[in-house]
Amino acid sequence: MATQQQTNEINFETHDGVTVMGIQGDITAFSEAKLNEAYRSATEQGSVCLLLKIAADAYINSGGIAVLIQILAQTKRNRQVVGITGLSEHFKKIFAMVGITKFATLYPSLEEALAKMAAAAV
Amino acid sequence: MNLSSCYLFEGLSQSQLGYLSGIASSMPVKKSSWLFHKGEPADCLYTVDKGAVELLIEVQPGIEIPINMIRPLNGCVGASALVEPYRYSLSARCVEDGTLSVIRRADLTPLIEQHPHLGRILMTNLARHLLERLNETRQEVQLRFMSLVRSATF
Repeated sequence: MATQQQTNEINFETHDGVTVMGIQGDITAFSEAKLNEAYRSATEQGSVCLLLKIAADAYINSGGIAVLIQILAQTKRNRQVVGITGLSEHFKKIFAMVGITKFATLYPSLEEALAKMAAAAV
Repeated sequence: MNLSSCYLFEGLSQSQLGYLSGIASSMPVKKSSWLFHKGEPADCLYTVDKGAVELLIEVQPGIEIPINMIRPLNGCVGASALVEPYRYSLSARCVEDGTLSVIRRADLTPLIEQHPHLGRILMTNLARHLLERLNETRQEVQLRFMSLVRSATF
């Protein structure tokens, strides 16, 4: 629940040069440490193409959006290509409204994200 | 109706939960219907039995700040019904068709007067919850402040 300190579960997979960071759980300001650690780990492993896979039932509050924007600002500085998939229509609208689409491409499905990002990774 | 899963009612005995169940009623809700808007009188407290309710701040038409999603087993909506000035501090919208348990402030107040220990537990749980929300808000302010610092040019 967004108002209790929760830890997100994050797992990594690699597909054709794309690092998929699967994020389970709601994303809030309390997610900062875990998400930053995961991002740092991915970058240290040399990840250039990063796909954030958000859980279908995840709720992202304003604090979570701030965390994601902070990470995306780092990806821009590090010249990484970023995609986001798994968002509900509700959050796609919110992400577009707050300008996250300037930093990352929103994909309607994991398959499409991997296909397009793998092509960019070549 | 499952009151025991809500943070507000943690630590209550079965008999105390029974008193609350005795004053709670069930209310069906439709997807996209508003439960209440910020500033309206906080007459009721709700738990989600089925479905989901989103808590948000309406900044202006079309622009909302997402605050939280309350689902079965993870909280309640309308805790402002416990605290003066009894005005909802956020807006709440039903995200899915569902069923809520409703406890009216008009019924809860005399119950707490009759059973002050129950009231003490509710207020302790509420205080802990509000402190967590305050900590989260501070963390968010910190994030945004650091973004400003990084983007500042002199």
